Amino acid sequence: MNGTGDDAASMPAPPLDPELRAGLAIVGGVFPPTVTPELVPFMRRSYASMPYDQIVGDRPIIRTDHTLNGWQGAEIEASVLRPRGEGRARPVILFLHSGGLMFGDRFSGIDLAVEWITRFDCALVTVEYRLAPEHRHPVPFEDCYAALAWLHAAAAELGFDADRIVVAGASAGAGLAAGVALAARDRGGPHLSGLLLDYPMLDDRGTAHSLTQFDGIGVWDRISNETGWTALLGDARGTDGVSPYAAPARAEDLSGLPPTFIDVGSVEVFRDEATEFATRLWRDGNDAELHVWAGGFHAFDIFAPHTRLARGMIRARNDWLERILSD
Amino acid sequence: MQELLGRLRALDPGAVISLRVIACFDELIVGGVNSQALLSAAASLTGCVVGFSIDSPARAMRVSPQGEQLAGDALVPSDVRLKWSDGALSVWLEREGDPHANDALIIERLSLALRVRYDRSGSADPRRDLGLMVDADVDEDRRFEAAARQGLSQSTRYRFVVAPLFATWRTHPAAREDVISTSSGPLHTLIVQQTTTTVEAEPVGIGQAAFVSDFPRAFRTAVVALRLTQLPDTPVVLADDYGGLLDVLAELPAGYEPADVPAVASIAGHPWGPVTLDALVRTASVREAARVAGIHHSTMTTRVQLVTETLGFEPLDGVGRLRLGLAYLLWRLHRSSTLTLPAPVDGNARTS
Repeated sequence: MNGTGDDAASMPAPPLDPELRAGLAIVGGVFPPTVTPELVPFMRRSYASMPYDQIVGDRPIIRTDHTLNGWQGAEIEASVLRPRGEGRARPVILFLHSGGLMFGDRFSGIDLAVEWITRFDCALVTVEYRLAPEHRHPVPFEDCYAALAWLHAAAAELGFDADRIVVAGASAGAGLAAGVALAARDRGGPHLSGLLLDYPMLDDRGTAHSLTQFDGIGVWDRISNETGWTALLGDARGTDGVSPYAAPARAEDLSGLPPTFIDVGSVEVFRDEATEFATRLWRDGNDAELHVWAGGFHAFDIFAPHTRLARGMIRARNDWLERILSD
Repeated sequence: MQELLGRLRALDPGAVISLRVIACFDELIVGGVNSQALLSAAASLTGCVVGFSIDSPARAMRVSPQGEQLAGDALVPSDVRLKWSDGALSVWLEREGDPHANDALIIERLSLALRVRYDRSGSADPRRDLGLMVDADVDEDRRFEAAARQGLSQSTRYRFVVAPLFATWRTHPAAREDVISTSSGPLHTLIVQQTTTTVEAEPVGIGQAAFVSDFPRAFRTAVVALRLTQLPDTPVVLADDYGGLLDVLAELPAGYEPADVPAVASIAGHPWGPVTLDALVRTASVREAARVAGIHHSTMTTRVQLVTETLGFEPLDGVGRLRLGLAYLLWRLHRSSTLTLPAPVDGNARTS
């Protein structure tokens, strides 16, 4: 691909689950495995969320839109989704969307998170953090942290239980979520009840073995990952100067993080980053739960939620959230 | 996935979505997934509840677009376009209103997959005519019958054109086409006249011209040609350009590790390796190779010494030149990721 002559493409890889392999015949036309910078305009069209009404359907959910101050005071949008009807102060989940740091919007890949609102009687805050490469680190991360500070400050007004905040994200959004949790710890920010990391994008250094195993397979390969990190960090990618808030795998001390849930597929580039991060969470004395789904490609629950493997993944994730959120 | 089909259509109005649906079910059949998984895929693709029933062993199942089994009575539609039955096995979509564009195809593929799963009759061979014609294990009579059904003449030569599902097509030739499952994944396959020696698509392999009796080999030459493509420099490979070499490549058994290839792989592991090997194979002298590779003559001389040491033979003399050329092609075949890599999107239509 890039002429370096490495044998990455010929590394034996674990097999894909057959249902997911079939799903890729459809998915591949919308989300190709290899995303190069030239493909970003295409991805922004193909990964744009579908109309909000289709996402929510006939669920009894109220949406309010808010403008808040992101990094350096710039105005960014956020939406609060909550169940219809008055009630007690509700737990709240800050949702950080997927899209490789370069595409997607605050409703991309949100279908499964919308389920949580009625299932757990909670609120969901989803934020339009600014995207790379137009906005490099720390803009996306600080936008997300500002959203956390905002929802904490506005908790009483919006009916949130400020003692029960979960930060959740998928893929690039999960990397941002982990960065936000580290910053909340370091800056004495809001107390978090939980951190939900779906197949997180954590490390710009790209040294994990799993990064070399899946060239051209699934929906996010080594080249895509390099494209995403370069968009966020520019020439700093892979150098010593990268902040752990941008690439949480670089944090030397993970102690004091909230209970954390991590899931990942065995057939994806983030497999080793995710399992390593879980191991380090345990090492540093945290409550962490890790699920590796055999034969799963990146974000298979978003693209093929009907499959046996995705249903298992969704069940395990919801079960953990229920333990964290339910009275 | 219904949503994804809609997205595909919006991104590329010319997309041949049916080929993707066919490939999806081919993979499910090859993967040996169970009934619920088959129904889940159909339900997810159509966005409505899908059911099936079978008389022996007696069972019935309804599955939602989320893949969950549903209790309750089946709402079998009255519209005959939304169901299929052979008397013993029935399949239906619980759709209100008229069928959608791909419903008929999805019902057909689902019923076939279920028949294969329950091994109900010899008629449930999941392979279609193109797949039968290129399989050397299928006896010749069946291959000829399949060719006759496709209106192919036994006294005319044809070529196979193969491409991954992710290929980009600038123009789509009118031809018999289908998806054929191979060990490397589903391949979009077309049969064209022997005079067709290029196609406006990338990446794509065009096989040698052959009579129906020789289709299995002809198809293999097309697959090898596809694996020799390299984007963006070599988007189309015509088997004829490699002549008898391609015959050799097409006949090698899977998993065979030929001599000299590990040495070539080792050379290719250097940053300068691939471009040097490519230049040496394409040219007649060190000086010319240096020019093609865009480096100084003395640099190429040094590299040739390193190449010679690694190979253990002279790469530019007589039989040594043949050995290097063949090993280089085999190495390219071995590391080819053409079948799984998508073509870069440049705003043009991606079909199939």
